[in-house]
Amino acid sequence: MESTRSFRLPPQVGQPTTTASMMSDVLVALLPALAMGVFFFGPRVLVLTALSVGSCMLFERLYRRLTGQSDTLRDLSACVTGLLLAMTLPPTAAYWAPVLGAAFAIVVVKQLYGGLGKNFMNPALAGRMLLATFPALMTSWSDPLDWVPLWGVDAVSAATPMSFLHGDALPPHTMGQLLLGHQGGCLGEVSAFMLLLGGLYLMLRRVISFRIPAAYLGTVALLTLISAPPEVSPPAWMAAQLLSGGLMLGAFFLATDPATSPVTPRGQLLFGVGCGLLTVLLRYYSSYPEGVGWAILTMNCCVWLLDRAGMPRRFGAAPLSVLREYRAQAKASLAEIKFIKPQLGSSHDGRAPGEAHLDQIRAMARPALCLTAFVVVTALAIQGVHQYTELSTAQAETQGHQDLLSQVMPQAVSRSEAPYRAPGALDIQMAFSETNELIGYCVEVQSQGFRGVITLDVGVDLNGQVTGVAVVDHQETAGVGTEAMTPAALQRYVGRSGSLQTSGANAVDAVAGATATSHAITVGVDRALAIVANLDTEDLVEYLDGEV
Amino acid sequence: VRNFFFGGIHPAFHKEHTQRKSIAPLELMPEQVVIPLSTDGADMALPAVRPGDRVQVGQPIALGQGLTDSVHASVSGRVVAIEARPHPWGGRVPAIVIQNDGQNTPWPHRPAPLEAKQVELELLLGRVREAGITDMGDGADATAETLRQAAGKIDTLIVNAAECEPYITADHRLLLEHGDEILRCSGILARCLKVEQAVLVTAGDKLNAVESLERLLSRRPSKVQLRTVRARYPLGAEKQIVQTVTGREIPLGKTALDVKCLVVNVATVYAIYQCLFEGLALTHRAVTVAGGAVAHPRNLWVPIGTPLRYLLEATGGLKEQPRLILTGGPMMGTPLKDLEAPVVKNTNALICLTGEENRQTTEESTCIRCGKCVTACPMHLIPVFISRAVRQNEPHRLPALHPEDCMECGCCSYSCPARIPLLELVRQGREILAKGGQR
Repeated sequence: MESTRSFRLPPQVGQPTTTASMMSDVLVALLPALAMGVFFFGPRVLVLTALSVGSCMLFERLYRRLTGQSDTLRDLSACVTGLLLAMTLPPTAAYWAPVLGAAFAIVVVKQLYGGLGKNFMNPALAGRMLLATFPALMTSWSDPLDWVPLWGVDAVSAATPMSFLHGDALPPHTMGQLLLGHQGGCLGEVSAFMLLLGGLYLMLRRVISFRIPAAYLGTVALLTLISAPPEVSPPAWMAAQLLSGGLMLGAFFLATDPATSPVTPRGQLLFGVGCGLLTVLLRYYSSYPEGVGWAILTMNCCVWLLDRAGMPRRFGAAPLSVLREYRAQAKASLAEIKFIKPQLGSSHDGRAPGEAHLDQIRAMARPALCLTAFVVVTALAIQGVHQYTELSTAQAETQGHQDLLSQVMPQAVSRSEAPYRAPGALDIQMAFSETNELIGYCVEVQSQGFRGVITLDVGVDLNGQVTGVAVVDHQETAGVGTEAMTPAALQRYVGRSGSLQTSGANAVDAVAGATATSHAITVGVDRALAIVANLDTEDLVEYLDGEV
Repeated sequence: VRNFFFGGIHPAFHKEHTQRKSIAPLELMPEQVVIPLSTDGADMALPAVRPGDRVQVGQPIALGQGLTDSVHASVSGRVVAIEARPHPWGGRVPAIVIQNDGQNTPWPHRPAPLEAKQVELELLLGRVREAGITDMGDGADATAETLRQAAGKIDTLIVNAAECEPYITADHRLLLEHGDEILRCSGILARCLKVEQAVLVTAGDKLNAVESLERLLSRRPSKVQLRTVRARYPLGAEKQIVQTVTGREIPLGKTALDVKCLVVNVATVYAIYQCLFEGLALTHRAVTVAGGAVAHPRNLWVPIGTPLRYLLEATGGLKEQPRLILTGGPMMGTPLKDLEAPVVKNTNALICLTGEENRQTTEESTCIRCGKCVTACPMHLIPVFISRAVRQNEPHRLPALHPEDCMECGCCSYSCPARIPLLELVRQGREILAKGGQR
């Protein structure tokens, strides 16, 4: 009978799902969100996706071929990585970006660790975050429905909801727009609705469990609900936080990557909660508006720990028996500690009590010293870096800017970097009123004073009139040159316009005893007026943005 | 509070082929029946007949000793030989071979049927022992011994009609056709064992049987409660069914008795009914013959000892070459090596799987840590970690993973999308652990 030859170990039946079918389910689930990306950002999205998927498959094939391993294209995992990588790119990304990301994702993150299932970080996300280290590449967003051209993408930037949320304000989008994806952002993350649909499909097909997305989104929802800024209604804040940025994509597709998430049910819940916590913290306190990517990558590194923490209770063991066992063990080991009277002097075997232990410590002293030194140096380095990026320093700086602003342009409430450059100006900033209208420019200029360079901040409104002057930095003699810098002296420039002279018509009289300094200030104000008058807002457009 | 067990799987149950076919007697009686002296191949009963003796249906032909039960002739005829014959669990086991004379003459000395009121514990135990009843589910323990140990110690009697293995509908048909007898016998068992509650557990895929039982219960109230649970494998396993009914977990090395429960298979209950009220010994049982390769799948009422070949003939033979023939269900059943092996007391099914159903063609691929085996394991194990510890030869990791808790239900292997033989690896892990961490 044939069955004697071919029977295998029980069970004799298996479920129809295979690794490849799970991967193809993920691909299917991502398609609606990708279609929305194409709808909002144009065919360039398709080109980026094709490049990303194609290069992922190519690198996978090449690596496996060159290292003489079996071909693993058929399990479709490279396809999924490629598609996920593409979906986390901005639609304006350069064409080489997905190729570089794919190389890093497939070769370094996935294959060097042994291929599918053995990588400890989500390859697509790691590739994306490598690209995020090129800020200019990954920070220009385009407006939805404003199709990005296939070639020659201008460095444009539209505000994404994340940049509003980062500034503690609700984005101007309606909930419907956020849900459907009428917002700026990465090409696959914009449509929360389609991502939800895809996530639901995956859960119904049992490719992912509900635990990670539910814990992740639940944590974010709860934290944002209780920490909304005072002027924003908490539910609206929560909804905006949930629907914008990469949260949906991350919760349903990136955090649930089986290879890089815990296998134990409790571990998966902890993983989701950790992701949510880190995401909210990063969104609130980091200098970048978005934190999903880093949150998931960080939690990926904790998976081994979460798997241990999430070990299921043994069948038949009473609840909390683990804790009880642990307590009993701790008690037993504490009971072993006994205080003995130290025997001073040499004992009979010529060794003082504890000598063996000291020997042990001495042997370990060298590596311990090295380790300590290393830790100290690292800590100092981190502290040094921290000094520069310290939050309080940044806050003090912002406060200083605000004081200066009120001095040079009392009507303005905020200002931001202007996208203009002009010769002679250190810095040009646009000043905005309470209603967010442009009311003038603040120009930082320098001129030669009596003893050194004087740096001035001059406010000029849209009519070309000076609204205020502030001295930022100088080396003039106290009590002599500084006489020209008193508020009263500087007040005399307010309302002036046109070309200022040091003498004659439209002149500002020099302060007695501080003539050279007065002249320097007048020259500086005049230069600022000239710069503002010649600002060509059509030319020299160069956008600078700090967000990633 | 509704109790449930963790994990489990929902395989394709394939019960639709046989669940509407009533239990039919075998048309073509076997020329010879081969009755093994032991159901599980371990403890032997002592033969009480010699080759050449004439025997009748229900006549004891081997006497039980200790935990083994007596064996009875299932056909009338002449004893041909007492020799080692193939056993469905593999190997050869001493068996009594009876040449069938086709008369089916009943044994004249069989005990008289009892009245329900007469039945007391000692009488019950005696009759059950005489009738040679063993557990007709997956175990092979002597039922009389189990009942004796349980008497007075338990508070819950669980009649197991879950039948969670795919393809098998023999218990379903028993419930449907002999529901009244089963309910009455369950009530008597509950009374004799002095339990507080008796629960008959069925699964949601036997709704017509549940309906008919409910009708019977409404007509004649009984101590027995009916509990219908959503069909899920392995609901019928002892630990899981106890957890489902009472919420109690049976720790490793303990039995259901330690948590004050007794689980009796529904086929066993029907056999007890027959022995008490019809005076019949355990000589026949219901067997499902199913699987994609069987031409006309059906349920059969088969004399114990019938070579399995006759069962296939009774179902119209095979319509295609089976890849695998099993006794028992496809999850925990035993692959058959020889169709001459007989039906034994706990053979509940003969399943012929085609290659397509068997799904053993897909090659094993790498583990992607999907965690399906963890959520499928009803014993709270982490098969993925155990298999990794075994394959990477890290026996020091095994003690914390408790592979010894495994009850071999096969849910992990079933649910693995990479087709890793997880159950086998967990078994290896248990063996390594038993040998003290040595491979």
